[in-house]
Amino acid sequence: MSLIALIFISLIGSLVAHRVALYAGKAGPWLVALLPAFLFFSFLGHAGAIGTGEVIFERIDWVPSLGIGLGVRLDGFSLLFTLLITGIGTLVTLYAGAYFAEYPAKKRAMFLFFIILFMSAMLGTVLADDLIMMFVFWEMTSVTSFMLIGFEATKPEARKAALQSLLVTAGGGLSLFAGILLIGMTLGTFSLSEVALRADELVASPYLAAIIVLILGGAFTKSAQFPFHFWLPNAMAAPTPASAYLHSATMVKLGVYLLARFDSIFASVPAFGLTLVAFGSATMLIAAFLALRAIGYKGVLAQSTVASLGILVMLIGLDGYVASVATVGFILTHALYKAALFFCAGTAIHATGITRLRGLGGLARFLPFTAAAAALASLSMAGLPPFIGFISKEYLFEAQLESSMNWIPVLVAVLVNAVMVAVAGAVSLKPFFFNRERIESVKHGETLGLLVGPLILATLGTLFGIAPWLVAQSLVQPAASALYGSPIDVSFSLWHGLTPMLALSALVVALGTAIVVYWDRLHIALRRMRWPDRLLGDKGYHAVFDGVIGAANGSTRFFQNGDQRRYTLIVAIATIALIGWAYFRSGGNFAILATGGPILIAPTALLILAVAGAVAAARTQSLITAVVAVGIVGYVSALLFLMNGAPDLALTQFSVETLVVVVIMAVLVRLPTYAPSTRTAGERRIDIGVSAAFALLVFVGLATMTAEPLDMRLTEFFSQRSLTEAYGHNVVNVVIVDFRALDTLGEIAVVGFATLAVWGLLRRRRPANATLARKG
Amino acid sequence: MNLVYAAALAALMGCGLYMLLSRQVVRIILGIALISAAVNFVIFFAGRIGASVPPLIIEGETALGPDTANPLPQALVLTAIVIGFSLVAFAAALALKTYRETGTLDTRELGDAEALGSPYTKEASSK
Repeated sequence: MSLIALIFISLIGSLVAHRVALYAGKAGPWLVALLPAFLFFSFLGHAGAIGTGEVIFERIDWVPSLGIGLGVRLDGFSLLFTLLITGIGTLVTLYAGAYFAEYPAKKRAMFLFFIILFMSAMLGTVLADDLIMMFVFWEMTSVTSFMLIGFEATKPEARKAALQSLLVTAGGGLSLFAGILLIGMTLGTFSLSEVALRADELVASPYLAAIIVLILGGAFTKSAQFPFHFWLPNAMAAPTPASAYLHSATMVKLGVYLLARFDSIFASVPAFGLTLVAFGSATMLIAAFLALRAIGYKGVLAQSTVASLGILVMLIGLDGYVASVATVGFILTHALYKAALFFCAGTAIHATGITRLRGLGGLARFLPFTAAAAALASLSMAGLPPFIGFISKEYLFEAQLESSMNWIPVLVAVLVNAVMVAVAGAVSLKPFFFNRERIESVKHGETLGLLVGPLILATLGTLFGIAPWLVAQSLVQPAASALYGSPIDVSFSLWHGLTPMLALSALVVALGTAIVVYWDRLHIALRRMRWPDRLLGDKGYHAVFDGVIGAANGSTRFFQNGDQRRYTLIVAIATIALIGWAYFRSGGNFAILATGGPILIAPTALLILAVAGAVAAARTQSLITAVVAVGIVGYVSALLFLMNGAPDLALTQFSVETLVVVVIMAVLVRLPTYAPSTRTAGERRIDIGVSAAFALLVFVGLATMTAEPLDMRLTEFFSQRSLTEAYGHNVVNVVIVDFRALDTLGEIAVVGFATLAVWGLLRRRRPANATLARKG
Repeated sequence: MNLVYAAALAALMGCGLYMLLSRQVVRIILGIALISAAVNFVIFFAGRIGASVPPLIIEGETALGPDTANPLPQALVLTAIVIGFSLVAFAAALALKTYRETGTLDTRELGDAEALGSPYTKEASSK
């Protein structure tokens, strides 16, 4: 079936799944799981062709004008991801059905809807060949992750963690988007495969550094790399099925996926690999350290996930084909054991109601199959033979020893893997097999739905370890070849002989065993330290978050302080600044010309009278005087209209001015007529300054305006058409009632509405204080 | 003469803005009235002042004579005057209503909206 069709089936399927889960009762999750299972086998059907090195391309236009399409590509590497996404998706659906068995059907259906929707988004992201399409699905995973972390929406910490993860991952998504746009600008294409073909052009681009930093921003936030490592442990507020799916097996690996896709493109930029090794190693160390300090069962697992993601980022940074094999092998291994461990942790927490790792013990009595699955998965995690974890760790060390990097990454890897061994012991041995006295009884036992997921995953981890040929040629080899860029031969096998890698593995196991023996003592000692909380937690995030809120708060308080004068002042100053800046930018072309002929005595005298009136209005404290003074200005302008050939204007102005005086006087009769100044002396000085600056700008503007030539085309038009077309001698009237008839209609409407509003405002209602009564 | 007009109009605008910046509602309304009178004259002035013959087409002619005033700004200002009047009248009625309801015309005391409280303090109290 077409790949695009599969994505659409998945998207539409999420809606169907919601309905099915809502109405099908207990069978609901099993029916819903058919969808991811169907997708899993559909993708598996492509495995044969992909295994021979084939790459499937499909494309339909989406926004052809921008060169954006739904372009999808299935190669070995994306096949690995699609199989993990749909395979684990099937198991998560079953597990979630059992996990939420006691919840209302509505809530369970909502959870399954988000899970399937998330799965669709993941499929879209890893199948996308078009970078814009990839970005859309990428952000969709962030949003569904937000919904799932905050699924227990009544808990404040869940809401907080959801918001945190959204801000970090969606913010990083925007960084990725900027990088994608720069790539599109540089190469004129958004197709990932075409970008890969023209990598040398991209590397020669002046935007190269910006592109790399922006893409790293997207990848590091999604995959919780230092300094964004803090959000993933907090995201454990999500229900455990979501944690198992999103925050260990699939979504957090998207950053790794992205880096792997761009690794071959930036292969000729040494700084790219070096940055990945540096940040990956730092993340590994920090997360391993924090894993020893973590209290919660899921918290320990989350920190070890961050460390694993660090390992993957470091592996991508290493050169050589072994690194590609190691990357692919570890992605597969980690997804198998970590999802299984999360399932086991979820069952343990759900059955006891205890989330602290040190509160659990002896659970094998009550949850025997879960304990078995946890044991198998953690043996794989510890990297012991004959589990697949052993093989992938051998490859990890081989990749490091083969690469051109120095010994520091090897040292980091040994330390971190030792902690992983210890974590594996701490999360399976201790809660399930030791400390039997801690737990006396559990709320419920195992159900089929709770067991299917962990048992299948743990068994596969063992099976692939014993019989690596099952996946070596069909899955690992094509994926590693796609990653490396050219076909490579993979001898993915359990026994490599007596190699330096084997010695390192032995060292790791020995160290890890020592740590697990002293786990409690080490844990307590590390908990006593205060500095890790300050330095390695999410203090930086909170500082940024509170800073933004504080800045918004402060600016709102400054600009919107409730004082009318402040608002007017801000608008006035902004206007003055903008116009002043525009004058300045125009090059100061102040062609001020006294072209208006000689100074005439009568108009000048009238203007002086008007200015005197305005100044009096501004200065007086008596409102009656102010009204009269403003009236003088109106009458002067009416007289000036009359003197300059505008009798219509003069007539209107006279009557309007009279009306204004009448209306305001009528209002003032009911108001105090004496209004003392409402501004302090300092405020008045500021206002005088601002008003003077405004007046100066107006003067400069008017003086320059008169020096410009006048465009008379419209005047000519009205002059010639008024009589011939509208049969009117008075051109002004013709313009008003004929040429601009609609404007005039609008004007009449405004007057009408104003009249209605005034009437409504001033009408005395019979129950005079109805509003007051309601307020009281 | 243009510079005299420009200076006088600038002075009117400055006085209008100064009144607009007051906290007394009636004074703000008078500032608006002052500014709208000045702006109307600015539009008129933009069509150039000089000819004093009204823009009427003389009997027997089909177009305006060469010395008539520019009719275009006059048509614009005519609308503006009426709209400005409506605005001032409405604002005055609103001021009267405000005074009847609250007993004050000082914008500092007209804080009903602010009295609802800040969204930030509400957020803080629920934390």
